[in-house]
Amino acid sequence: MAIKKYEEMNALELDILKEIGSIGGGNAATALSSMMNAKVMMSLPRAEILEFNEAIEKMGDPENVVAAIFVEMSGEIQGIMLFIVPQSFSDDILFRMLGKTGAELLELEEIDTSVLTEIGNIVISSYVTALSSLTNVEVELSVPQFTVNMLGGILSVPMAMVGQHSDRIMMVTGDFKIDEKALHSSMLLLPDVESLNILMKKLGVS
Amino acid sequence: MAKKISVGIADMKIARQEGELITYALGSCIGISFYDPMIKLGALLHIMLPEKSASDNNILKYADSGIRETLRKLYAFGAGKGRLVIKIAGGAKMFEMKGPGGLGNIGERNAQNVKRILMMEGLRVSAEDTGANYARTMSLDVATGQVCVRTAGKPERKL
Repeated sequence: MAIKKYEEMNALELDILKEIGSIGGGNAATALSSMMNAKVMMSLPRAEILEFNEAIEKMGDPENVVAAIFVEMSGEIQGIMLFIVPQSFSDDILFRMLGKTGAELLELEEIDTSVLTEIGNIVISSYVTALSSLTNVEVELSVPQFTVNMLGGILSVPMAMVGQHSDRIMMVTGDFKIDEKALHSSMLLLPDVESLNILMKKLGVS
Repeated sequence: MAKKISVGIADMKIARQEGELITYALGSCIGISFYDPMIKLGALLHIMLPEKSASDNNILKYADSGIRETLRKLYAFGAGKGRLVIKIAGGAKMFEMKGPGGLGNIGERNAQNVKRILMMEGLRVSAEDTGANYARTMSLDVATGQVCVRTAGKPERKL
């Protein structure tokens, strides 16, 4: 069954997306773990279909300043991957990787942004590698981009992508935990509707 | 402190005499404030895309249908066309992207279409803060007509 809108997805399909998120996230956590030489875990992922304003509310204060690493997916799957890094997560990463403390997101130096971009890149590409080998779809990733901006503005990008067809967004999210410390950071998988159909078909659901 | 009235995405609110209409973290979206100083009537609209598609009924999501709906309401509340002060903010390019269907420059297209639709309605934009690559929060104080824009890490600007 091909869907035209996210809200047409059923519980089974959402469960499958959670599973994809779990495998992708697990792979990403392993990559992060070896890079930082720390124990990295990922929470159970959520697959949610939310109205735009609801989605932002769920992610936090829209004016909250966060860093984000953004990658565009193309090929058989089209959409966006976002890795959202709040201040506390950035602090932890920069301390582990560079021994730095107190680097405000809005005043990051070039070395800081390249470390965070690289972390985001590894997390995203290992996530997508798992997704693509699991489902046997070809996904190409764009060069990662880094921004520090208000959360709401960042989330408006995937929303504009789907906005012409829907008032809702489908996101698969997960949080990382480093050395048992719950540091909130989110991984968002945001495929467009056609890509969801392709994913489901490849997994034999449709 | 004026009462804050929050305007969501694809949303519009109208207030009279007092209150602060505010919309948070506009990325590629556009905030459009309308104000009639004589009767202290204000509206703030938050649109996301330039043109309405025939199949979608969410009129406040789009520049064309959103502006027309807002104007219809404002005129019904007694706003004078010649008195309306209109300001816009947003339309940023948050990331460089190719995207399907010109998504990469959606902010710019939003801004252009907002101005085009307003012109077709015989109105013009008196001040704007659009483009660049950062998100903006926009507010309209209905008691004074003052429009403010704030951006992370920068002082609030009056528009």
